[in-house]
Amino acid sequence: MFDLILQATYSGLLSGGSYALIALGLALVFGTMRVINLAHGEFVLLAAYIAYTVESQMDWNPLLALPISVVVVCITAAIVYLLVTRLDKNREMNSLILTFGLGVILTNLVLFIWKADIHSTSVGWFQEAVVLGPLYSMRSELLFFITSVVMVAILWVWLDKSWYGRAVRAVSSNRDAAKLMGINPHVTELISFLIAGILASFSGVALYCASVIQPALGNALTIKAFIITILAGIGSIPGVLIGAVLLGVSEALTITLLSSALQELTGMLLLLFVLLALPNGLFGRAGRRG
Amino acid sequence: MLKLESINVRFGGLAALQDVSLLVDSEDMVGLVGPNGAGKTTLFNVISGLVRPTGGRVLFNNIDVLRKPLYARARMGIGRTFQIPQPMHELTVRENLLVAQRFGTGSVNQSKIDEILDFVRLSDKSDRNAATELALTELKALEVAKALAIQPKLLLLDEVLSGLETAGKRQFMQMLSDLHWRFDVGILIIEHDIETISSVCKRVCVLNFGKLIADGTADAVFKDPEVIKSYTGESGA
Amino acid sequence: MKIRFLLPVLAVVYLAIPYLWGGNNYVMSLLVAAFIIAGVALAWALLANLGGMVSFGHSAFFGVGAYLSALLCINYRLPVLAGILMGGIGAAVASIAMLPALRLRGPYFALAVLAYANIFKILAMEFKGITEGAAGVTNIPALPTVMGFDFSSKLGTYLVIVTIVLLFTGSYHLIRVSHYGAALKAMHDSEDATRVVGVNSTLLKAMMLFVSAFMTGVVGAVNAHYINFIDPDYAFDLGWTLLPMVAVVFGGYRTLMGPLVGAVGIFMLDQLVFKALIGTGHQIMLGAVLAVMVLFSPDGLVPLIGDKWKRIRRAQA
Repeated sequence: MFDLILQATYSGLLSGGSYALIALGLALVFGTMRVINLAHGEFVLLAAYIAYTVESQMDWNPLLALPISVVVVCITAAIVYLLVTRLDKNREMNSLILTFGLGVILTNLVLFIWKADIHSTSVGWFQEAVVLGPLYSMRSELLFFITSVVMVAILWVWLDKSWYGRAVRAVSSNRDAAKLMGINPHVTELISFLIAGILASFSGVALYCASVIQPALGNALTIKAFIITILAGIGSIPGVLIGAVLLGVSEALTITLLSSALQELTGMLLLLFVLLALPNGLFGRAGRRG
Repeated sequence: MLKLESINVRFGGLAALQDVSLLVDSEDMVGLVGPNGAGKTTLFNVISGLVRPTGGRVLFNNIDVLRKPLYARARMGIGRTFQIPQPMHELTVRENLLVAQRFGTGSVNQSKIDEILDFVRLSDKSDRNAATELALTELKALEVAKALAIQPKLLLLDEVLSGLETAGKRQFMQMLSDLHWRFDVGILIIEHDIETISSVCKRVCVLNFGKLIADGTADAVFKDPEVIKSYTGESGA
Repeated sequence: MKIRFLLPVLAVVYLAIPYLWGGNNYVMSLLVAAFIIAGVALAWALLANLGGMVSFGHSAFFGVGAYLSALLCINYRLPVLAGILMGGIGAAVASIAMLPALRLRGPYFALAVLAYANIFKILAMEFKGITEGAAGVTNIPALPTVMGFDFSSKLGTYLVIVTIVLLFTGSYHLIRVSHYGAALKAMHDSEDATRVVGVNSTLLKAMMLFVSAFMTGVVGAVNAHYINFIDPDYAFDLGWTLLPMVAVVFGGYRTLMGPLVGAVGIFMLDQLVFKALIGTGHQIMLGAVLAVMVLFSPDGLVPLIGDKWKRIRRAQA
C-alpha cells in the first residue's frame, strides 16, 4: 500500500510538473491582459498534432517538430492576440466569448485535418521505463517534467532580470503606472502571448510523446490550466508550480486509491475548496478577484 | 446612535486609521475635517461597510454592525454619499430613488420620493438618465437624494460640496442645514473647507494621519494649535 | 413586450406555423429542436443580462433537468408534466452548488461554472446505480395524450415547447420591469452604489441563477421526454451551452427577442447550411459566428437591425 502511494505521489509530481508548463502560459496572459485565453488548450493541442504529423508523415523523431510548432503556435497566438485587442467594450467578458469561439474553431480545424482518431507516439524510446529505487516512470514523463522545470526556471529568471520581463511584471501589477513609466502595454501583451505560445508548443510536443492525444483534449487542458491558475492565485509563478503539483498529486492519488474515472473530479473539488476557503488562492496577492 | 470604539485600519503596512473613537447622536450634525489622506473617507467606508477594520467596534443603536454586510447596514438606516457621485447606471433619476427606497426600506412610497426630489430640486429632472444626463450639481444632489430615499437615521455625506461653483455651493449649503430637521436624521459630513464646515456644523472633528486630533465646537476646534498646525502643513499635507 | 407586437407573434406561432407545416414532421422536428435551443438561450441571456454573468455551464442544468425528470417518471411513475417541473426544480437546486462561484467576478465565475458542469457529467457517469452510467437511460416516457391530442407527436411537442418558451419570455419580461430588474440593471456598472442603498446584490444574483437554472432544467426535461433516450455525453454535452451562447451572441442578449430570434436563426443555419456544406466539424462555423459577432457587433444582430429600422423610420417622419 505504502509503495502504491509513494509511486502515485511520484507520478503525480511528474504530471503536475507538466501541468505547470501548460498553466503558466494561461496565467501569464491573464496577468498582463486580464484576459483568460480559452483557446490556450488548443494551442497545446495544435503543437501536439504537429508533432504527430512530423512523426507519421516524415518519419522523424517528434521532438524535431518543436521549431515548426513554435512557429505555427506563435503565429496562431499572435492572431488571437490581435483579435482580442480589437474588442473595445467590456473586454473582460467579451474576450472570454471570443477566445472560446476561437478555441472551437481550432478544435474543429484539428478535427478536419487529423480526424477524430486517438494518436500516440510510436517511438519506443519514450516509453521505456526509468527506475529510480522503488519509483517507476516512463522516459517521456521524466523528460516532460524536466523540460517543464527548466522552462519555468528560464521564465522566472527572464521575468526577474530582463527589461521585457520587468515590463511584463510592471504591466501585470499596475497597468496605468507602467504606462506612465513609458512601457508600451501592447508590446508587453503581445510578448506574453508569444511566450504563452512557446510554452504551449513545448507542452504540446511533450504531451504527444508522453500521452495520447485527441481533438477534444484542448478544452480539458484549458480547464486544468484554469484550475491551477486559481489554486495559485494571480501573479505567482511559484504558486503555479506548486498548484500544478498539488493537482497532479491529488489526481494520481485519486486514481490509485479510488478510481481513474474520478480523476477529473479531484481537480474540481480542489477548485471548490480553494474558492470557498482561500479566496485569493494559495499564493495570490490579496483582493485581486473581488 | 453611532458609536465608534478605537477603530484601526491598516492597508498593508500603512495605518489609515488609528484608535479612532467617536460618538454621533441622532440630533447631531458633525463636521469631519482634515487634510487629504487623513482617513476621512476610510472612516466612512468603515461605518457603511465597504472596509472592514483591523480592530475596533462599530455600534449603531447599540448593535454591533461590524459583521453586517453593506446592504444590511443600509437597511438599518446608515445612508451615505460618495465623493465622486455614483449614480446607478442605466436608470433614470426617479428609478434611482425607487430602487433605493424599495430595497432600503422594503416598500415603495411615491409621494415620499416626490418630496425628496422636490427637496433636492431634481423634480424636473426625474426622467433623465442618471449617469449620462445630469450636471455635476445635479449628480451631487442625486447622491443626497438616494441616501435620503432609504430613510436613514444617520447620513454620511462625503464632500458633497466639492467641485461646485459658488452659487451652487450656497444653494447646497442651505439645503444641508434644512436636511437635518426636515428628515430627522443625524449627519456626519466630510468637508475640506473649514469656513463651509463652521457655518453649517456646530460640532467638528479633525482627523490627521489617521488619528482623531480634535473633537468639539467649531470655534474651539479651529483655535486648537494642533489643528492649525495640521492645516498649515507643518506636520501634514 | 408590447401588445401590438405580442398578438402577431402568438398568431404566427400557434396558428400559422401549425397550419402551414403541422403535418410535416421534418419541419416540425427542426422547429422543436430550435425552440429547445431558444429556451436555453433565453435562460442564458437572463443570467447574462440581468445577473451580469456569462455562464459556460448551462449544460449542467440541462442535464440535471433531463436526468431527474426521466428517472422520476421511470422509477416513481411520476406524471410526465410533474417530472418536467421537478426537472426544473432539481436544476435550480443543483445551482445551489454553484453559489460559492457567485463570489467570483466575470471570467472567474464563467470558468468556475464550466468546471462545475464537468462535475455533474462525471457524477452522471459514475453513479451507475442511479443513472445507468454511460449506458444511459432508455424508454423515457413520452409526453402524454390529453383530451385526445397526442402531445408526444412532433406537432404536440412543438406546441408544448413553444408555450414553455413563451411563458419563460413573459417571466423574464416581468422580472426585468420589476424593482428587482431595476436593481439588477443598476448593479452592472455601479455595484457599490447599489449595495449602499440596501440591495443585497449577492442574493439577487443568486435568484437570477436559480431562475435561469430552473428554465434550463425544464427545457432539458422536455427534450428528454421528446427523444426518449439520454446518456451523460448527450445530456451534459457542452453543445447545450455552446449553441445557446452563439444564439444569444448572434441575436443580442440585451433584448427579449434577441435570444429567440438568434436561436431559431442559428439553429437553422447550422442544420440546413453548415451541416450540409461541411459535415463533421460543422461546429467550426459556430465558433466563427461567435468570434465575428463579438468582434463586430457585440450587442447582436437584433439591436443592429432595430437601430437601422429606427433610423429609417426617423428618416421617413
